[in-house]
Formats: sequence, structure tokens, C-alpha cells
Amino acid sequence: MDFNQQQSADENYGNPTTCFFHVFFKGAALAFYILFSFFVGNFVVIFVVTAVLAALDFWVVKNVSGRILVGLRWWNEIDDQGESVWRFECLDQESMARLNKKDSWLFWWTLYLNAGAWLLLSIFSLIRFEADYILVCGVCLTLSIANIVGFTKCRKDAKNQVQQFAARTLASRVSSTFQSAFTIV
Amino acid sequence: MSHSDTIPLHPSSQSDIDEIENLINASPATVLPARPPSPPRAQIPVSSSLPPPPPKPAPPKPQPHSFPPPLPPPSSSVPAPPPLPSSRPEIAASGFGPAPNTLTEPVWDTVKRDLSRIVSNLKLVVFPNPYREDPGKALRDWDLWGPFFFIVFLGLTLSWSASVKKSEVFAVAFGLLAAGAVILTLNVLLLGGHIIFFQSLSLLGYCLFPLDVGALICMLKDNVILKVVVVCVTLAWSSWAAYPFMSSAVNPRRKALALYPVFLMYVSVGFLIIAID
Repeated sequence: MDFNQQQSADENYGNPTTCFFHVFFKGAALAFYILFSFFVGNFVVIFVVTAVLAALDFWVVKNVSGRILVGLRWWNEIDDQGESVWRFECLDQESMARLNKKDSWLFWWTLYLNAGAWLLLSIFSLIRFEADYILVCGVCLTLSIANIVGFTKCRKDAKNQVQQFAARTLASRVSSTFQSAFTIV
Repeated sequence: MSHSDTIPLHPSSQSDIDEIENLINASPATVLPARPPSPPRAQIPVSSSLPPPPPKPAPPKPQPHSFPPPLPPPSSSVPAPPPLPSSRPEIAASGFGPAPNTLTEPVWDTVKRDLSRIVSNLKLVVFPNPYREDPGKALRDWDLWGPFFFIVFLGLTLSWSASVKKSEVFAVAFGLLAAGAVILTLNVLLLGGHIIFFQSLSLLGYCLFPLDVGALICMLKDNVILKVVVVCVTLAWSSWAAYPFMSSAVNPRRKALALYPVFLMYVSVGFLIIAID
């Protein structure tokens, strides 16, 4: 029975560890910030811990959970001419189709909710005119938005690629059919 | 049968059979280079058994340039030349399967790669090395982790040394350094120079390393003369580290205009270090 439950839990989320970490750092940063700014006043500790957690979360989302949960990756490179190029990478079609739906749902929704929460917190600190706390919220918000933008561009790119690929496959299949038709004739 | 490098699958009718054969032959035990899509360059600490990267006669325009994960394992016995589709069935199940490209590499590899990048960037920027004269090469692989750690460390050190108003000191130090880096970069861009925003932020952050060392020494030893000497030495070191990059980014007649604010920022950080008690 336990084994069956374990099985069904695993079938719900394809990568439970990754999902956990994806949510953990975000939640920890938010929780730490909210609790400590209410109960403990020490700004330096709040800033450093929250900023470190937010940075770790950024890294985990960009390098680990993005890859594993939704099969996307983005980064920036400087090419030989000294221009900066943004690169987007995605898994090919079969793997994308095989990705767990719950995983990707969790991925996208926690990204958006996280950014929304930090936006709310920065509005609060703006209203209270606490410049220090605006700084923390600003940093965390920037990191979340960067990830959202990066992954959204990556996803659009992946869709474009799918379309191009489909068009090309169709074209080549059509031409090979013609060729085989002619050889038979 | 021609193969285009952007299509992961064979367009011919042999494709299915070939694919299955490739999947069987490419044994998962081969460990693959972690980052095939990058252009080959000297600094990336990645195993050099790299098959020729996907020919990007890269359009020099900075457009987002996408391509599917390319390459077959170099040591596999696959006879067919076209690239292997990188569909690995074990991706979803274990999450950390073998790595044909950066999309499916183990997490530990990513961590190691990033850590070694920080170290190599630090060495390139702050210590004398043969690539200093060519700033284009210097921080090709920019990253913001190093700068983040150095800024936070400097803020913490200053805050620790301060006997009163610790939070303000930290906030001021962090704000000054972060905003200063952004403004300095904008300054160069407005002077008509050619730099890349993040690369410059990264450079200015890495150049804080000597000041970090100086602040640490000043925190440990409270002698004013020693502080002045240490700060002067580390200030000179930081400026020397930042000089080639900033000066080559702008028109030679405007070099001083670009370099002076950098120097000014480091001097003000130096004063902060000396003045804190």
C-alpha cells in the first residue's frame, strides 16, 4: 500500500526533489524576510540572508529546475566580435512531450507568484518609506523578473523552433515522397 | 541525404531505424563535455574532447539565437555523421542522467562549472596574466556571482568594523557599490564606448577584490597608518585591474573621462574603509 502511494505520488510530480528545491529557496527568502522584518530589526542580517537566498533561488531555477522541469535553458554569451548574444536552448520534441505536466505547472506558477509577492512587499516598504527594505525587495524582484523574462523568451523560442521544424519536416517528407514516386514511375 | 544542423532528426526514411541504432549504440556511460554549444575558447574549464560545435557562422547581430541541443557523444561508435537527437529517456525519471549537453548534465557539474568560472574570472581580472591587453577576451564568460559575493563581503566587513550604525553602513556600502557600478557602465556607454553592460558590471565587481582584502586587514588591525598604507596599495591594485578594460572601451581622447569616475568610486570606498572605526 505504501509502495502504491509512493508510486502515485511520484507519478504526480516527475521530479519531486527538484520541485521541492524550486519552491524551497523562494519560500525561505519570503518567509525569512517577512518574519524577521516584523520581529527582529537587524537590517544587515535580513538583507544578507534574503539576498543570498534569492540569489541561490535564481541559480537553482536557471540552472537546475528550468532544465529538469521544463527542459529550457537560457544564458548570455559574448561572441568573438565582442557582441553579447542571448542563447536559448530547449530539449527536442519527444523529451518535451514527455515532461510532466504538473512539474511545468508548478514551475511557471511559482515563478509568477514569487514575483508578485516581492512586488507586493516592495510596495509595502515604499508606502512605509523604508529605503533599506526597498533595496532588499528591489534585489529580489529583479532576480525573479530576470528569470521570468529569460524563460518566457526561451519558451517562445522553443515554440518557434517547433513550427520551423514541423514546416521543414513536412517539406522534406513531401519532396522525398515525390522523389520516390518518380523513381517508381 | 543532406543534414541541416538545426534539425535534430534525419529527414530520410531510414531515420527511425538509424535513430534506434544510435540510441542503442550511444552508451550512457560515456561522460560528455558539459557545454558543447559555446564557441571554442581557451578559458572554459571543460573537457576538450569536444566535437566541432554547431557551425554558427554566427550573425554578428546580438539577436537571441536559438538552436536545439546538438551533438552526439564523441566516443560513441555511431557511424552515421548526422547529429544524434538528444532524447534521453532517463531525463524525466531520474532527473540527473548522463549529459549529452548542458540541458541534461548532473547538477554537480553545473555547480563545479560555475565555481571554476568565478575563480578563472577572478584570476583574469585581478592578477597579471597574458590576456590583459585584450579586454574582449578578458571577461568573455562574465558572471555576476563573484561581484555579488565581493560586494556583500565588503559591506559586511565595513559593517562589522563600524561600532555604531551598522545597518546604515552596510546599506550605504552596498548601495554605493551597486549603483556606482551601474552608473559607471552607463557613463562609458554615454561616452560612446563599446562595452557590454553585464560584462562591465562583472568587471567592476571583480575589481573590488583587492579592496575586500584591504578592508579585511583594516578590520583586523586598527592602526591608522597601517590602514592608510593598506588602502593606498589596494586602491592602486583595483585601479590597475580596472584600467585596461575601461580604457579600451572608449575613444582614446575620452579615456580620462571614463577612468576618472572609476578611480573616484574606489577612492571613496577607500575613505570609507579608513574612516570606519
